[in-house]
Amino acid sequence: MALPDLSRRQLLGAVGVGVGGLALTACGGGSLGDDDGGDGGGGGGGGGGGTIRVGLVIPQAGVYTPLGVDMQNGWDLWLEQNDGKMGDFTVETVTADEGEGPDTGVPAIQQLLGDVDVVVGIVNSATALGVAEQFAEEEKLLLITNAGAVAITGANRNDFVWRVSFTNAQNSAAMGEYLATQDIGSVFIMAPDYAAGQENVTAFTAAFEGAGGTVAGSALSPFGTTQDFQPFLQRAQSSGAAAVFCFYSGGEAVAFVNQYADFGLKDTIPLYGSGFLTEGSVLNGQGQNAVGIQTTLQYSTEIDNEANQAFVEAYQGAYDVLPTVFAMSTFDAANVLNKALAEAGDTSGTALGEALGGLGTIDDSPRGPWEFEDQNPKQTIYLREVVDEGGTLINSVVEELGEYGTV
Amino acid sequence: MADWFSENLVSILNGFAIGSLLFILAVGLSIVFGMMGVLNLAHGAFYLVGTYLAYSLLDDGVTWGGFLGALALAAVFGLVAGGALSVMTEPLAKRPILDQALLTLGVSLIVAEVLSIIYGNDVYSVAPPPGLDDRVDVGDGSLPVYRLALIGIGLVLALIVYLVVEKTSVGALVRASVADREMVSAMGIDNRKVKVAVLGIGSALAMVAGVLGTPVYGVDPGLDESVLLLALIVVVIGGLGSVKGALIGALVIGQVDSLGRALLPELASFILFGALAVVLIVRPRGLFGPRKVAS
Repeated sequence: MALPDLSRRQLLGAVGVGVGGLALTACGGGSLGDDDGGDGGGGGGGGGGGTIRVGLVIPQAGVYTPLGVDMQNGWDLWLEQNDGKMGDFTVETVTADEGEGPDTGVPAIQQLLGDVDVVVGIVNSATALGVAEQFAEEEKLLLITNAGAVAITGANRNDFVWRVSFTNAQNSAAMGEYLATQDIGSVFIMAPDYAAGQENVTAFTAAFEGAGGTVAGSALSPFGTTQDFQPFLQRAQSSGAAAVFCFYSGGEAVAFVNQYADFGLKDTIPLYGSGFLTEGSVLNGQGQNAVGIQTTLQYSTEIDNEANQAFVEAYQGAYDVLPTVFAMSTFDAANVLNKALAEAGDTSGTALGEALGGLGTIDDSPRGPWEFEDQNPKQTIYLREVVDEGGTLINSVVEELGEYGTV
Repeated sequence: MADWFSENLVSILNGFAIGSLLFILAVGLSIVFGMMGVLNLAHGAFYLVGTYLAYSLLDDGVTWGGFLGALALAAVFGLVAGGALSVMTEPLAKRPILDQALLTLGVSLIVAEVLSIIYGNDVYSVAPPPGLDDRVDVGDGSLPVYRLALIGIGLVLALIVYLVVEKTSVGALVRASVADREMVSAMGIDNRKVKVAVLGIGSALAMVAGVLGTPVYGVDPGLDESVLLLALIVVVIGGLGSVKGALIGALVIGQVDSLGRALLPELASFILFGALAVVLIVRPRGLFGPRKVAS
């Protein structure tokens, strides 16, 4: 059909398809992924005890894919070190792809739930919140190894959803209280405009102002559609703030840190952040622009304890890269699930939940000792600084900021 | 007023830089759509190919040779890819425009997936070439020199495209095809050859924009979708098949995205689509769109 015959309506319709098509590709990633599961580890072994089927739910397509790889590695490493057994049970892992958001994650988990005894993983908080109720109905255990929304283990939590990672509030509150004691002047706050960003801003502001700090202003950048942070950086600059605190992760963390240096703020206004700003593969994209940035997180490869040294060495031996907090959390999830299974001798959610509640201090974790408080870790938060160690960027530990539980 | 200007000068200049980049990206999309009736949704994926090309050649250190080489390779790859896409859409030429859009959407998904298999899903960055990797103080802030250079590159390219389209016989053919494709055909011109050439050049511009955009937007697997969306908005605002429209549309969107967000941060998520909505209400065919389309 030649163009002149087209009505304007048809042309606009075509553009509409273009925009709609973008939405399609954005959601399509997850469902196109491999969700028929692969056997992650375990199998064999035989003899004694029964079998526990664990659903490992990780992103295998979309923007969070690098996190999914780290999580899978952490899980596989623990099983390999323990002959694929937890308690008296032989572990059968069924891997499922959660994609980018709840539109792909929730159906993937619903499909998996009938087939497994326990589910481990989940990066996206909306996905975790979307399936939490179903675990209560099925009375099965969900062990979250990333998703940080406060509400997952907050006042409305149920007995079957436990988390071994963190809450968004923990890291930001620790930084807020720390910066207030440093006498650095007023702070400008930046984060993407979505749930996790807002939780970090709220927690930081409450902790920082509560301890006597002054907030110079804040800017929330549109999540996922901001390629250029210059307008927000300008606001930080003209606010007269002496420092900037931010929460960004993944691709946005790379763009933000690079543009922070490109526009000359790195030399004049020190940058602080929640640990995900400089965690894992994003450091490759940030390069020297990341050096000197201080962040707070519950983990660093540089934590000085025996369990961490053994973990980092084994992980590097197996995968030839440094582990990340995502790998560590999933490794730790295997560790506490093992303890709970040994204690309960049963795979039901009720028995495992009770066993987790009675574990007390976990003293063999790479992050250092921690315990469950309200089904979420009460753990040490570390102040870290990015340093260049012979060409490799690492998050060195500056100091321990104390234990943070329910914030 | 002087204070206001000084405070916002960085945003204004940055808006022009973003606008220049968007013009290089969107002008190909606009002419291909306006002239050939092919809505090329693989345009964003071609941009992405350009960024990975830049990353492959420049990851070990940015030199002028490497940078210019990446630009030249991008232009060649773009011509070939556009030509191939033109051949692929030919069997669908008699079918409704949406069938072709579906084909190019499929191509774009495949290209993005192949890039993700080759390069993984990590995000990288590439520095500007030597000499452009510094920044200059303007007003109350400072601006990367590379972004200033982008303004120049965009204006030069705009001038070249404008002269070719308005002042040469090839350009006359392009304008004639935008106005009345069937009449051009009736005059004995082989439409298919024109289409191969126009799609090739349009796609080459997309890949060149990818290389030029890498020091600004980095290398990110999701960029194909975000830049395609921006380019479509530019095309809708500027009007189909118009070089002037693509330039003005790109500069408007650059300012909206930069100065607009700096002045109205509360509306940051909405302001881009707000500008689009205003243009569609006031002037549905775009600022410089051809009247013929509505006939």
